[in-house]
Amino acid sequence: MAIVELQNIRKVYDKKVAVEGLSLSIEPGTMFGLLGPNGSGKTSTIRMMIGMTVPDSGTVKLFGQPFTRDQLKRVGYLPEERGLYKKMKVLEQLVFMGQLHGLEASLAEKRALAWCERMEITEAIPKKVEELSKGMQQKIQFIAALLHEPELVIMDEPFSGLDPVNAQLLMDTLLQLRGEGKAVVFSTHRMDQVEKLCDAIAIVYRGKLVLEGQTREVKSRYPRNRVQAVFQGDDSFLRHEGVASANNYAGIAEIALRSPEFAQPLLVEAIARGTQFTRFEVIEPTLEEIFIESVKKTPEYAAAGGRIDV
Amino acid sequence: MSSSLSTVLLIARREYLERVRTKGFLIATLLIPAVMGALTWGSATLASRAKTTSHVAVVASDTVFAHDLKQQLGSSAQDAMQVDLVEPTTASRARLDEQLQDKHSTLAGYLWVTSPATAGALPHFTYKARSAGDISTKTALEDAISAVLLRERLSERGLSHAEIDQLTEKVTVDTSASGNTKAAFIAAYTMFFLMYMVIMLYAMNTARSIIEEKTSRVFEVMLATIKPEQMLAGKILGVGGVGLTQVGIWMGAAYAYSTFGIMASGGHVLIGLTQVLYFIAYFLFAFFLYSSIAAALGAMTNSEQELQQLNMFLVMPLAFCMVMVFAIIREPNSRLAEIVSLIPFCSPLLMNFRLSLTQVPAWQVGLSFVLMTLTIAVILWISARIYRVGILMYGKKPSLPEILRWLKYS
Repeated sequence: MAIVELQNIRKVYDKKVAVEGLSLSIEPGTMFGLLGPNGSGKTSTIRMMIGMTVPDSGTVKLFGQPFTRDQLKRVGYLPEERGLYKKMKVLEQLVFMGQLHGLEASLAEKRALAWCERMEITEAIPKKVEELSKGMQQKIQFIAALLHEPELVIMDEPFSGLDPVNAQLLMDTLLQLRGEGKAVVFSTHRMDQVEKLCDAIAIVYRGKLVLEGQTREVKSRYPRNRVQAVFQGDDSFLRHEGVASANNYAGIAEIALRSPEFAQPLLVEAIARGTQFTRFEVIEPTLEEIFIESVKKTPEYAAAGGRIDV
Repeated sequence: MSSSLSTVLLIARREYLERVRTKGFLIATLLIPAVMGALTWGSATLASRAKTTSHVAVVASDTVFAHDLKQQLGSSAQDAMQVDLVEPTTASRARLDEQLQDKHSTLAGYLWVTSPATAGALPHFTYKARSAGDISTKTALEDAISAVLLRERLSERGLSHAEIDQLTEKVTVDTSASGNTKAAFIAAYTMFFLMYMVIMLYAMNTARSIIEEKTSRVFEVMLATIKPEQMLAGKILGVGGVGLTQVGIWMGAAYAYSTFGIMASGGHVLIGLTQVLYFIAYFLFAFFLYSSIAAALGAMTNSEQELQQLNMFLVMPLAFCMVMVFAIIREPNSRLAEIVSLIPFCSPLLMNFRLSLTQVPAWQVGLSFVLMTLTIAVILWISARIYRVGILMYGKKPSLPEILRWLKYS
């Protein structure tokens, strides 16, 4: 049973089409990445998932049932725009959020304290929200979304504005939640984060779904035609007949081959010309490259005048 | 259904506690009754010391007149002045002028009486005061002079002292049946302005807190679990609860002052229990009415500056009431007064004002309650729709056609 199932949803704000004919489904125990450039319809899609806005057409199902507000007790949501009551103390705020989700005050408090410890912000507990750093506020918001132990966690740009250490802490926590069998959906425009984190992805561009599937399966659709090379000396191999395009960043080259078979001949020839390699790796295209490539194939890309606006 | 009610109460509780815990609330709640008490006590003390007690000098060649004037100023019903009698010489004028300059002298001024050139004509009176603003002494002098001259002329016409006393006896009109008019007027006016203040205060409070949630984006988190209607209901209940607490404390204090006799005058209680209850009831209606307008205004705007431009929608009906007060105070039961006080936007101010001045037929009070309830229902319906769409909108201020379109969203 899919935890989230969107069928052909469409949303139009005045004249702007935010989401058009989008369908996707998310299984339990999955880390799902919703990718797309800014303004591509990620937030609109997420808002329809939790009934904050109603699609103009199409259906939303959560936990195998048509959407009802009662289901929201089983959903944890972290909005893109963080918001907390500035004058409230951290613990009060968390307990309040927990109560809104139907928890008893005492249980909410117990869990809030445990989570604060887990997220390494115990010193913030007695403080008012306005006294805290942005990163800390974000962690509190994160906890607020998880206090009621939701089966479905939806996070809009969860890592934006966090330093690498805290971003890692959040990622680890999300991975643990997935390990507990929960479905985690998050949106991002940072492809590098998705690659190692997500089991499944969907790429949206200008309100439309461009690509969807298991991350490994999506990547395997694309041939291993990328080479990353770190070298010294002669760089004439970059102009080999098998090279479709190449970027040379002062001795670190990213090469796209016409086809995977060109990899070995390229290496042989380069060595013959005296190029010294410290690394020569044949890899799949990165998600970012897949993303750009698949966006470029859409008619909307041409309509937008060749802009991806990442 | 019960869970949605408990959500509303949860939000109301949060709004309530957040406001009640601020220092501003505590100060305003305690300060206003303190000021009220100080004012009533102050005016009561002033009233008891209403007799003019200035120290003046009378310079007159007519010694009989001078003595009579001294008698009148020194021991009449209104006055208890200290009066020096001085011979009219050039030296005495210089001495009196000197005394007026002297900081240690208590002399408030001197009256120079120039006898008339022809018999039977009025003498000429010149008063030189230490302070040009000392109206009460001047008035006391004028009254006393008139009284003395009147008595002199009557006795010249051959009337006896007893007859003159009888003729000049002061008439008092007994208003104790309806209470002290002046005090009642002040009390009604104070209540009017207090109502004006709390309506404005709490309506703006609602609007501001919506804008705050909008700018801090808190509502996005909230809307992921609860409905906008629950949020709006909780907010209005919470803010209204704070208003009720404050108004309740103020009215309790006013009632206490009134019954403990400080405000009671002529045996009449100025602010009775019924008036306190009416005030609270009309405050509640006014709050729901104006704060539902304010909620829509808050949801439409993105900042307090933008709200300022729209708050004329709140101020205009209140300003209209202010103008109407002058018409009502003369004839609280005129047709005009009846009509304007039944307009739902004005009832809280004007009907309550009439109630504190006169007997208002019960059906009018009842009708005002019904009309206000209906208006609140309509406005709340519109506001909830504007609120629901408006809080998710950022950026530019919506145009009127856009707002009308919001109303159609279900």
